[in-house]
Amino acid sequence: MNDIRLPAEQKYADEIRALADSDRGPRPPGWAMTPRAVETYVTGSDKAVGGVTITPKYIGDRSLVQVAIATLASDRALMLAGEPGTAKSWLSEHLTAAISGTSSLVVQGTAGTTEEHIKYGWNYAMLLAEGPSQRALVPSPILRAMRDGKIARFEEITRTSSEVQDALISILSEKQVAIPELNEMVSAQRGFTVIATANTRDRGVNEMSAALKRRFNFVTIPVVDDLEQEIRIVTKREAELRSDYQVGAAAPEELARMLVTLFQELRGGVTKDGKTKVKPPASVLSTAEAISVLFQSGILAQSFGSGNVTATDVARALAGAVAKEGAEDLKAVREYCETVAKGRPGPWKELYGAAKAALRS
Amino acid sequence: MSDAVHARVHLFPVRHHSPRTSLVLRRWLDRLRPALVLVEGPEDATPLIPSLTDPESQPPIAILGYRTDGTPGSALWPFAAYSPEYVALRWAAEAGVEARFIDISTGQSLARDVAALRIDASEPAAEPEESIWDTVAARAGFRSFEEFWEASFEAPDYDEPGFRGALLEYAELVRHEGHELSFHRARDAYMARRIREAAAVVAPETIVAVLGAAHAAALAADDVDDALLPALDATVPTTTTLIPYSFPRLAEQTGYGAGNRAPHFYQRAWDAGGSFRRAALEVLVDFSDHLRLRGFMSSLADTIEAYRLACMLADIRGKGEPGLDEVREATVATMCRGDATHVDTFLWPSVIGRNIGKVASRIGRNSLQEEFWREVEQRRLPRTDAPEEFVLKLGDPVQVATSVFLHRLRVADIPYASYRGASAGARATVDESAGGIAALTRVREAWQAQWTPSTDASLVERIVFGETLEQVCRRVLEKKLGEARTTSDAAGVLLESVVASVAETLSTALAACDRLASADDDLPSLATACRALSGLIAYGSSRESAALGTAAIPPLCVKTFDRAVLRVRAACDGNDEAVAPVKVAMRVLNEIALAQPIVDRAAWIEAAAGVAHDYSVHPGCAGIAAGLLYLAQAMNEEEVALLVGQRLSDALEPARAADFLAGFLEVNALVLVKSRPIVAALDAFLNAIDRDRFRDALPVLRRAFAHLGATERRYLVENIVALRKLGGSAGTVAQVIAAKDREKLESLSDDIAKAMDDLDDLL
Repeated sequence: MNDIRLPAEQKYADEIRALADSDRGPRPPGWAMTPRAVETYVTGSDKAVGGVTITPKYIGDRSLVQVAIATLASDRALMLAGEPGTAKSWLSEHLTAAISGTSSLVVQGTAGTTEEHIKYGWNYAMLLAEGPSQRALVPSPILRAMRDGKIARFEEITRTSSEVQDALISILSEKQVAIPELNEMVSAQRGFTVIATANTRDRGVNEMSAALKRRFNFVTIPVVDDLEQEIRIVTKREAELRSDYQVGAAAPEELARMLVTLFQELRGGVTKDGKTKVKPPASVLSTAEAISVLFQSGILAQSFGSGNVTATDVARALAGAVAKEGAEDLKAVREYCETVAKGRPGPWKELYGAAKAALRS
Repeated sequence: MSDAVHARVHLFPVRHHSPRTSLVLRRWLDRLRPALVLVEGPEDATPLIPSLTDPESQPPIAILGYRTDGTPGSALWPFAAYSPEYVALRWAAEAGVEARFIDISTGQSLARDVAALRIDASEPAAEPEESIWDTVAARAGFRSFEEFWEASFEAPDYDEPGFRGALLEYAELVRHEGHELSFHRARDAYMARRIREAAAVVAPETIVAVLGAAHAAALAADDVDDALLPALDATVPTTTTLIPYSFPRLAEQTGYGAGNRAPHFYQRAWDAGGSFRRAALEVLVDFSDHLRLRGFMSSLADTIEAYRLACMLADIRGKGEPGLDEVREATVATMCRGDATHVDTFLWPSVIGRNIGKVASRIGRNSLQEEFWREVEQRRLPRTDAPEEFVLKLGDPVQVATSVFLHRLRVADIPYASYRGASAGARATVDESAGGIAALTRVREAWQAQWTPSTDASLVERIVFGETLEQVCRRVLEKKLGEARTTSDAAGVLLESVVASVAETLSTALAACDRLASADDDLPSLATACRALSGLIAYGSSRESAALGTAAIPPLCVKTFDRAVLRVRAACDGNDEAVAPVKVAMRVLNEIALAQPIVDRAAWIEAAAGVAHDYSVHPGCAGIAAGLLYLAQAMNEEEVALLVGQRLSDALEPARAADFLAGFLEVNALVLVKSRPIVAALDAFLNAIDRDRFRDALPVLRRAFAHLGATERRYLVENIVALRKLGGSAGTVAQVIAAKDREKLESLSDDIAKAMDDLDDLL
């Protein structure tokens, strides 16, 4: 297969099957497994289930995942809010894969999203030839989810216009969509609900109308601030990316530790020992960003370096990640290297040397 | 189970303040109908049981044990309505069955060590948060011990034997861990002995003993070692009484012994017959009300959803009923739209609650408590366990009386109100203490008051010092006076007597001042005392009783001032460190000399002039004296210029001259820099200093000129410009200098960067 990336329900098909088979408890209508099995699927398990090891997909607060699952079993939709790169979409994909067996019913919210993307559109050639018919109807992912009793995903809901958001209100409260052209009413089957994600950094959640907010339960995904936890997430996801793309060299653990420490210290504006103040850059230094920097430095090392990832490769990849919001950010990282990295042993020393060359604005 | 007598009685393991334990215990008592109920609690508090269970008493209340031998020390044993110990006692009272406390006495636990002497030490036995509890909880997949407890013991509706068995088993598992193990084991033995004694009179099968789970497990396993008993022999004289307690204090306690995160929540569960579902619903409705009160949107649909979500979460987590964590998380997800700030800031206190208990009137309050509560009621002062701020205007006699009351509490060291500054919002600065000289001049006082159980505890303890607050203050102040070694100590007591309106100590403090001043050679101490006395004369005080001592104050003030002036010259000898307080004292004396007409001003001027012209004293003191003399207008500008010129002419000893300069500038910089002759002398002085000596004098000079503000600096520069005849070209010069500076700085920054890089390469 040449797909860069498989949807969660295919990639983890074994785990989902094993969990669904081994779990006998009562399931909410339309669910492929019990809420507890969903939790196990998302957060992983030490014990193999039905002979299959369940890998952790989301590393972090269990209770947050539990609130999300409990919400999906109710008549309210779920809103995952948080800073960019905190694994909102990742979590939503895995939840839908486990509960509905598909994560592909997704609407990508943009400024150009129209009501057609939420309700239905027409195949106009067919419409002209046959008039309004089921064959000419192009159902939206949400309409398909309603018909099949699945969970639809709505990414970046705050990017869409208020008209589109308003259209969603009636779907979420009535759980019905009228198609007057066909004189038909589509009612949502049991199991239908929506997981929306919203970015709190740019047009925040406050842009949403109160009426729409009322249809959701909110789960705020926090920025990871535990060093060991973030290192685990970064190394694990980076390894997955490497195997997906089949490119890049594995970075030693001490480099991953250095990178995550750097990210956390810049994000927090203060060093881990609390002794030195650091100027935080304006661009978002998310966990996802750390993963991509580490992945990229692996590619750099493999293609243009010695084949072993070094701090120099990390510094070069880092430049691309922080330069997004302008030269000021490069300066902030350079300052960080001057004040913090310089005095530290091991790879930090190399990073300091390399950063001076790589981060010249 | 063993055959030992203490294992044959009906042991019931409890966790303090656990509603589930209480519910099960009550059902169990109803079924067993014992003839004697033994409860873990200080045995000398047994006579208090009837008052504790009196229908008029409303928990939370606490047994207070306090030392009566004069050493401060007390401990509290709090009870909530849902505490199993309290429930057992109530059951006994209702059934007409005898109940008794069987743990070591308050005297024994207070004698144990200093650590247990803290006021508000919830429980001498209260273990601090111990890792073993957390470890067990983490193994079972819970985030905290509290959550583990809630899920495993609190929420499930147990039958009596099931609960008893589960808790005993759990306690057996963990009881060998933790701090002060030998002490707990000794208490095991002590309580076992008491149980055996009781069983000698009453059949063991008709006795119920309500004990902490670890103790119960030890007794059930007959793991009791009588050899440990002598460790408990030490005791101190104590008395016990009951005082009201409060939910916020109850929530402060952590650890297995007393952990109680949210008393109001547990109270609700208890009132609902152990239904945590009901408690969760009530809390959520309460939250919704709070949100709406504060203008946030919160609909009934949100409340319903939050309740449903909480139940669902409990279900996913395998808990029978929703607990605190579920309530919190559901509230955040629904009512608060994913934002936890509201919950943490103003919603959470509602699960803790603010309830304050009530003690049956038969127990009686002591006279101090009576006085406190009477005053608080009459003066409409805060009575709840939550901080409240208010401002007193000291022009109004009623509010002055309130101020006296609060200051008395402060002097008597009874925790209730703290002084917050001269007005609301402003915080008291570091050097502005609540009492003392600052209190004399105030027209407003902002206070923050909060009743806590320790307020009542202190009131009970302080009764050994006197029957009224005034008497207590008197004793405290007399004690301080007895320890006073310097005049300023005595003057401090004097001021406190005025501020707290304690007439008796006023005269004794005055006498002490007089006595100490004659022997006191310490200028700073005398000056401080003198300022206190002068302050009393000048400002009087908003306190009426200050009138009592006024006749004696002026002569004493004059006397102290004279004594201080006499010691000025001698005090000015010494090194930098020694004269630092002397400098302050001199300024104080000058202030008094200028402000207070009754003191001998001439004597001070003379003494100061002596110091100013004396080359053998510390030059800093001489500088201060000169500055003060000018300030007092005892020296005109020419004289100052002459004096400073003389001092500065000593280019051979620039450090001494610089010290003098520093002293002078400290008092009055403006006059120095404004006077052209002085600046001329200064200029000449600096130019004349030898290169090597200049380096020695530089730190002192720097310090001296650091006192100068922007205005003074400008005058200085203007004068120098005029002196050096730079006149008209000064403006252009300034511009050129500024431009040059900038250039220089820029080129320098490149140089520095380059140097840094070079350095890095080298490294």
